[in-house]
Amino acid sequence: MVEKKINTVYDVVCPFCGTLCDDLEVDVNIKENLVVEVRNACQIGTKKFFSSNPSPHRYEKPLIKDNGTFKEVSWDEAIDIAADILAKSKRPLLYGFASTECEAQSKGVELAETLGGILDNTASVCHGPTLLAEQDVGVPTSTLGEYKNRADLIIFWGSNPVHAHPRHLGRYSQFVRGYFRKDGRNDRFIIVVDPRNTHTAQIADLHIQVNPNEDYELMNGIRAMLRGVELDAKMISGIPIEKIKELIKILKECKYGVIFFGMGLTQSLAHHRNIDTAICLTRELNDYTKFLITPMRGHYNITGANTVFTWNTGYGYSIDFSRGYPRYNPGEFSSVDLLMRDEIDASLIVASDPASNFPAASVKNLFKHPLISVEPHHTPTSENADIILPAAFAGIECEGTAYRMDHVPIRLRKVKDAPGECLTDREILEKLILKVKEKLGE
Amino acid sequence: MPEIKLKLKKQPDFPLEADVISPDNLAGKSTAEIKNLELYVANEKTTIGEFFSVSGKSGDAKELKIIIDGNLSKVKRIGEKMTDGEIIINGNVGMHVGNQMSGGKILVNGNADDWAGAMLKGGELEITGDAGNYVGAAYRGFWKGMGNGVIRVKGKVGHEALTWADGSVVAKRFPTLYCGSAGSFLGMHGHGATIVVEGDVDRCAGADQVKGTIVIKGKVSRLLPSYKKIGEVKEIDLFNGEKITGKFIEYSGDHSVKKNHNVIDKKTNKVKISVNGRLYIAA
Repeated sequence: MVEKKINTVYDVVCPFCGTLCDDLEVDVNIKENLVVEVRNACQIGTKKFFSSNPSPHRYEKPLIKDNGTFKEVSWDEAIDIAADILAKSKRPLLYGFASTECEAQSKGVELAETLGGILDNTASVCHGPTLLAEQDVGVPTSTLGEYKNRADLIIFWGSNPVHAHPRHLGRYSQFVRGYFRKDGRNDRFIIVVDPRNTHTAQIADLHIQVNPNEDYELMNGIRAMLRGVELDAKMISGIPIEKIKELIKILKECKYGVIFFGMGLTQSLAHHRNIDTAICLTRELNDYTKFLITPMRGHYNITGANTVFTWNTGYGYSIDFSRGYPRYNPGEFSSVDLLMRDEIDASLIVASDPASNFPAASVKNLFKHPLISVEPHHTPTSENADIILPAAFAGIECEGTAYRMDHVPIRLRKVKDAPGECLTDREILEKLILKVKEKLGE
Repeated sequence: MPEIKLKLKKQPDFPLEADVISPDNLAGKSTAEIKNLELYVANEKTTIGEFFSVSGKSGDAKELKIIIDGNLSKVKRIGEKMTDGEIIINGNVGMHVGNQMSGGKILVNGNADDWAGAMLKGGELEITGDAGNYVGAAYRGFWKGMGNGVIRVKGKVGHEALTWADGSVVAKRFPTLYCGSAGSFLGMHGHGATIVVEGDVDRCAGADQVKGTIVIKGKVSRLLPSYKKIGEVKEIDLFNGEKITGKFIEYSGDHSVKKNHNVIDKKTNKVKISVNGRLYIAA
């Protein structure tokens, strides 16, 4: 009998963006434990699968910084030193968790509570404002399957799925044929609101080129005009009133509309107030037709991080355990603000790279204190870490649960084994919790 | 009159949570007892005596005056939930000063950080310098913010001051803010706030305001499109009975709120502009 060399795994879930495509096919060379081919995924997802193969960019053994250079150590030694740093610190920051599975996130909550530290995830620098707005005014939302089968008006507000969520358009929002939208793209009207002429705007039916940072005023004007209030202004945020009237007609006459919004709303000036008014607009449009709103979440399991943190502590992100019980206040306990004010003395970064995304001043303060990085790859954060704990890729090298951007949990699959001595994020955090508890005498 | 003096001895490494420092908690206690009251720094417990020198004599909360000296910019939550008495802070103060207080008076001779007087229920908070963001605002997720009381800030207040204010003329609750100048989203989601600004205001003043009065004696960087001009006025009546004179342009709004633009005049069949909140900007 010929020995089987290539194993094909079907229905693999892509652990890259919040779209969480679940129809991938991955060919794995069993003998050498390598991904050799990925079908159905977008370019970014494909690259992620290939990046799990052993390469100079991949950590395979625990490393500790010694006089500026990394030296390989055993897992026991690495965990012991890491636990020592955490147990001795008074205000440790646990950050990241967006690109790992829910079980590991849950362990992160346990560790933060044991340490009396601060727990934060990457929503703090991406869709955190969305959560704030949802807490203020609620949210009318639905799952992506509903949109696929029913929506005939799609609005992308401050998001560019062609680049950020490449298969979103094909699977849920634009080209796909749905039960009531049998003709796919022709049955849907696409509006893009963006200051830039993005690639998504180029394939849309209508592009509203709003002035940068003036989305709030535009939505505010639309909300007033929706009910026939004649406004004093002739132009709102660079859009003439006549054009807004046309837009409102389209909004009112659709059968089923949905707003997908991205970082163009959450991270431009006005932040959560943009989302606040976008949700109010959606709610008020329901007086005329069916309208819903969904955030375009970035990391594949950031929705899961918010969900897991919420069912464990009551809050989605920016949680402080320093007084023994969870408290929540973005701005006070969110990572960037803490680092800007230099209010931490150690950090554990799990599956994230704040050094590439945070403001330079806060990254400087992050590097000032002991930094433990749980990370499969070389990143600017891990390169400046004191301890690197090599992790397996969740969704490629270990199983787990992840939440899609519409809060649908999907089981991630394992396609191959992790190289070297890599452990899963969950195992690493479990080891840390045990060691920390031992050191704290619990 | 009973008086207690606290002086900060050393700067904490991490923010010091001093919610215990209020006339209610310090009333009737000896200096030794006060020194043993708990504070929190990072994930550790500490005491007032560790960080403050304590002198003076305590007494009834109603008459008690607490004077705190030093740079308190890392000390949070002074005067949290206080109901009576007086606190005088000589120096800058950290976050959450006087949050949720329902009576008494706090005077800050310096600047205050974010969330000063958040969700105030009564009493008076005076800040002689600048204040941070979220002055008198509702905490995250609360639909009812400042219910009553007065906040006076000589300098600038940051963004989103007095969000979700919850006043009522019938119940005689008048959440009021007087300030030098203000950041964006002043009085957002207001339900009966009174805000008087001596200087300029950033964008989106009175966004989503259901009712309330905002008087701006300077300029607004960008007025919301959903505010409609009514005309010029020479005198403004505030909810609390005060009068302001001067030349102002009167706007009604926020017309984007469903509650507001629902009101249609039966005679003219047009949207009534006389029912909702008001924004006055110096002419």
